[in-house]
Amino acid sequence: MRRGLAFLLLLGGCAGQQTPLAPGGEQAASLFTLFGLMMAVTSVFYVLVLGFLGWAAWRARGHWSRGAAPVVEPDDVGLSRSLVVWAALIIAGLFLLVGGSFVAERALASARAREALQVSVTGHQWWWRIQYRDPATGAVVETANELHLPVGRTARIELGAADVIHSFWVPNLSGKLDMIPGRANSVDITPRQLGWFRGQCAEFCGAQHAHMAFSVKVDTPAEFAAWLAAQARPAATPADAAAARGQRVVVGGQCAMCHVIRGTAAGGRAGPDLTHIGSRRTLAAGTLVNTRGGMQGWIAHPQAIKPGTMMPPVALDPADADAVSRYLESLK
Amino acid sequence: MSTAPDPVAAAAAAYTDQLASVWSDAPGLWGFLTTVNHKRIAARYILAVVALMFLAGMLALDMRLQLSQPNLNRMDPQLYNESFSLHGSTMLFLVSVPVMEAMAIWLVPLMLGQRNLAFPRLGAFSFWLYLGGVLMLWVPHELGITPDLGWFEYPPLSGPTYSPGHRADIWAQMITFTEVAALAASVNIVATILKMRPPGMTLARMPLFLWAMLITSLMTMVALPAVMLVTSMLIADRLVSTHFFVPAGGGDPVLFQHLFWFFGHPEVYIIFIPATGFVTAIVETFSRRSVFGHTALVLSVISIAVLAFGLWVHHMFAVGLPRLGNDFYTAASMAIAVPAGVQIFCWIATIWSGRPRFATPLLWVAGFIMTFVIGGLSGIMTASAPLDLQLTDTYFIVAHLHYVLIGGAIFPLLGAFCYWYPKATGRMMSERWGVIAFLLIVGGFNLGFFPMHVLGLEGMPRRVYTYGPEMGWGTLNLVATIGSTIAILGGLVFVANAFLSQWWGRPAGANPWGGATLEWAAPSPPPPHNFDHTPVVDSLTPMWTAGGTLNVMDGLGLEKREVLITSVIDAVPQYRQKSPEPSLWPLIAGLAVTMMFVGSIFTPWAIVWGAIPIAASLTMWFWPQRERRPSGPMRGRLR
Amino acid sequence: MLMCIVDVSLEARNEPAMISRAGSRWGLVLIALSLAGCGKEARTLTADLPQTPPHGRDDPRIPKYQNNAYQIAQGGRYFGWYGCGDCHAAGASGVLDLGDGRWRHGSSFDQVYRVIAHGHPGELAHYGDRIPTEQLWQVTAYVRNLPQVPTDKRRRQDHDAQGEPTGGTWSGAKR
Repeated sequence: MRRGLAFLLLLGGCAGQQTPLAPGGEQAASLFTLFGLMMAVTSVFYVLVLGFLGWAAWRARGHWSRGAAPVVEPDDVGLSRSLVVWAALIIAGLFLLVGGSFVAERALASARAREALQVSVTGHQWWWRIQYRDPATGAVVETANELHLPVGRTARIELGAADVIHSFWVPNLSGKLDMIPGRANSVDITPRQLGWFRGQCAEFCGAQHAHMAFSVKVDTPAEFAAWLAAQARPAATPADAAAARGQRVVVGGQCAMCHVIRGTAAGGRAGPDLTHIGSRRTLAAGTLVNTRGGMQGWIAHPQAIKPGTMMPPVALDPADADAVSRYLESLK
Repeated sequence: MSTAPDPVAAAAAAYTDQLASVWSDAPGLWGFLTTVNHKRIAARYILAVVALMFLAGMLALDMRLQLSQPNLNRMDPQLYNESFSLHGSTMLFLVSVPVMEAMAIWLVPLMLGQRNLAFPRLGAFSFWLYLGGVLMLWVPHELGITPDLGWFEYPPLSGPTYSPGHRADIWAQMITFTEVAALAASVNIVATILKMRPPGMTLARMPLFLWAMLITSLMTMVALPAVMLVTSMLIADRLVSTHFFVPAGGGDPVLFQHLFWFFGHPEVYIIFIPATGFVTAIVETFSRRSVFGHTALVLSVISIAVLAFGLWVHHMFAVGLPRLGNDFYTAASMAIAVPAGVQIFCWIATIWSGRPRFATPLLWVAGFIMTFVIGGLSGIMTASAPLDLQLTDTYFIVAHLHYVLIGGAIFPLLGAFCYWYPKATGRMMSERWGVIAFLLIVGGFNLGFFPMHVLGLEGMPRRVYTYGPEMGWGTLNLVATIGSTIAILGGLVFVANAFLSQWWGRPAGANPWGGATLEWAAPSPPPPHNFDHTPVVDSLTPMWTAGGTLNVMDGLGLEKREVLITSVIDAVPQYRQKSPEPSLWPLIAGLAVTMMFVGSIFTPWAIVWGAIPIAASLTMWFWPQRERRPSGPMRGRLR
Repeated sequence: MLMCIVDVSLEARNEPAMISRAGSRWGLVLIALSLAGCGKEARTLTADLPQTPPHGRDDPRIPKYQNNAYQIAQGGRYFGWYGCGDCHAAGASGVLDLGDGRWRHGSSFDQVYRVIAHGHPGELAHYGDRIPTEQLWQVTAYVRNLPQVPTDKRRRQDHDAQGEPTGGTWSGAKR
């Protein structure tokens, strides 16, 4: 069945990183099984309905005669019995599907591991603020737009919204859940497969809802621990003159008003945390690949890339722009 | 050799002419503005709906072109967001519900052998308010201030902080217009169906279409106040700074969703149930036998209506509501498959056991069954709360909603249009072009929208103005665009056929299809008074059991407008009721209400000051006019 | 009215193939009867960004910001994000109260802009160097509009923005 359904992926290319049809986690796997049951049962009923209609049309060939009088309330005993059987069949099918649904619902709720990793993700227009909390020390490590999770361990992701309603959705790993201001939602994710996945906002949240995506990397526990430790460290000091110049422009100029780079004087909280921006795969919430050119383009012309974005265009002369992109690239 | 004039025929013609002149409107613009003729009012609705479907279709074509390939720049996100908002709001508030009301306004008196609706001036008023709603949305669009947050603008996005200006207020107030219009039409239809049936048409002998409209109208009366309330609350949050939907002020954004969907889910059944009435009528006529399972069909419609009010949370499965509640709504949402499945069986069984002739109306029924059932089954999938967490807010839902709305409501509507067109115009539509339109529309629609199920399963969310090439969604989006274009082409062919057949269509008699219900007893097109005499009914299929001669009663006045009022259950004649003459007051009242609604977007004082012209116009509308004169004993004579 | 015609054509430029905009041709008739100031509602996302400060009180770019609801709202968001709301909160008094309608350094757009960009007291000043020009225009438009915003409306908007960051602090999403 998995193969049978996965063929659907072939119809549109093999992206596979943002689809419920290639489950990489326990929650998505339960839902995929339920989907298979649904496809089977609904297909049977569709074939029955179409078969009946086709039979009716087939029977009609040559039957109609213009002059014949219409029949009023004939004896329909056979049809009446068939109606009862049909209704019973539908009810039986529904019991099956409702039962399957209950089972899946319980499976989604079952991950109550005490050792769940605590992550909180907050939706902003149009990016994701990601915070890991160490329950022992209470320390918070913040990053943006890229979520790393250890394989095999449940992550309890607390969802919040800073402005309007967003929705957190990584289809390969689990179903979506809305991020609603004033509401404390959380979703459990237990990844079972290593690799990269993609998530996207799934509740219309304004002009750039289309470009509010995030990457999810499922690591081995050791890799994950190393990554988290690296994210917790303050920003790397500039290694060369260009990077140092870039740091001066970033920290002393317009960037620091909205962005924080821990270990420097840049402390603005309005935009994504840039302390380890160099380590991320994409920019602008999944809109651009993270390259030096992409970074320069984003800083200089954000409206051309993501019209309506709240990131302002920052006018830098070419030397400064190059320096800034080298500096940010070095913040791994 | 001269033919002596036939005194009986001459007397009948004089009788008809007298009635026609009493029931007709003044000529020209005055008649246009003051008419209370239900057929003229319905025609206006239909013309407006066709124009709006064209505009909404063009918006859809625009959006499909934008999405046909990755990273296209045809539309910027602001324009795209305005387009899907306008498309959805127009189709759901200004087309789908009003067109069903319009069909009812046109057909209900005819199917009841009556001369007009119970409240003719209210019918005119409902159109003027509907027109106000149309202008409320489309005039600002032309002025560049289109609502741009979807057809159900959730706060806080639609609140005072994140939606500056008046776009969201325009959307919210448009809804108030159309919902008042819908309530007016519904009250009219309920009163007509319950109190103005022909003698002998007990509830048990009432055709299914009338059951469908009765139930739809009752549903409208319960559901629509919820949306008027919630949009007014949104305007209040924006205009006078109430705190309904802001948590820091003690409110809750989820409250908006509950109130909206408490309306929103019944709304889709309000759109669907009249379509079931169309399908039953068409299936019966074209299978040449009375419909199988009339009682089951009536009970199905009633149970759908009741169930529909207990399902709204399935639009909110991703909100994070308590899981046990989600399970309940899963079961309730799936339960609708039982009455829907029973209906499908009854219709196919009628065709199977009859002698069907697949003229265009029945072709549309076949297209409806093939298409709507796919929508129903995708609905079963989304009814499951856990699975819906993967499917909701993706293109799977876009596919589902179009399959049920277009397959389940528009296809029967197009079939109904072909079916009753001869009655309304006296001409037949071209069968050949009708089949071409059918193939283009049904084929194009399925080609266009089936791939969207797959796109949703490949992770494509809703309401995105573009996507990257790395997602792999390009091919299916291109197929969807091609299919939609074909369907729109078919729609143009259909409308052209309807338009041109007015002049070139074969003349139709009173009953070209051999239908069973009373509207086929009236001439095609019906005269202003519809029927010369009140039919008397003895079965569900009066035109078939009459054997060529329909029993009628007379006794309704010739010098003034009168309708017959009968009892609710058994349709026993009770009294003659004066039916209102044409009047300008519905238009004036409509204008007064329009001014108040539009003004209240800008200031709350508009409600106070705007109430004065409304009160004045309503007073004039209801000013007693008739002398208290006994109407005399009923005189019933079978002819 | 002229503003409306200009703005409609600005919108039209962004929509080369928008078929239903053909209605704008007959819509011009309606514009003649329209309410004043529909330029208030225009929302062009790819803005003609003013890369320079206003050059006087008659700078023709000013009405596109001061009379536009979207630009004022954008200014309000940046007002919070840049931390202005920490001192210039809704209930502030004296010089900190931006809604009292008293403009100590002149009330015209360019005068207010100049104060924010160059004349703002305090150690975190020199906003002209630290805030991009476009955003300064938007914040200026917002600030000049504040006296017309009733207190309950400002409070209502502050409630909506409770989960937003303000300057260097973010107290978390409201859950």
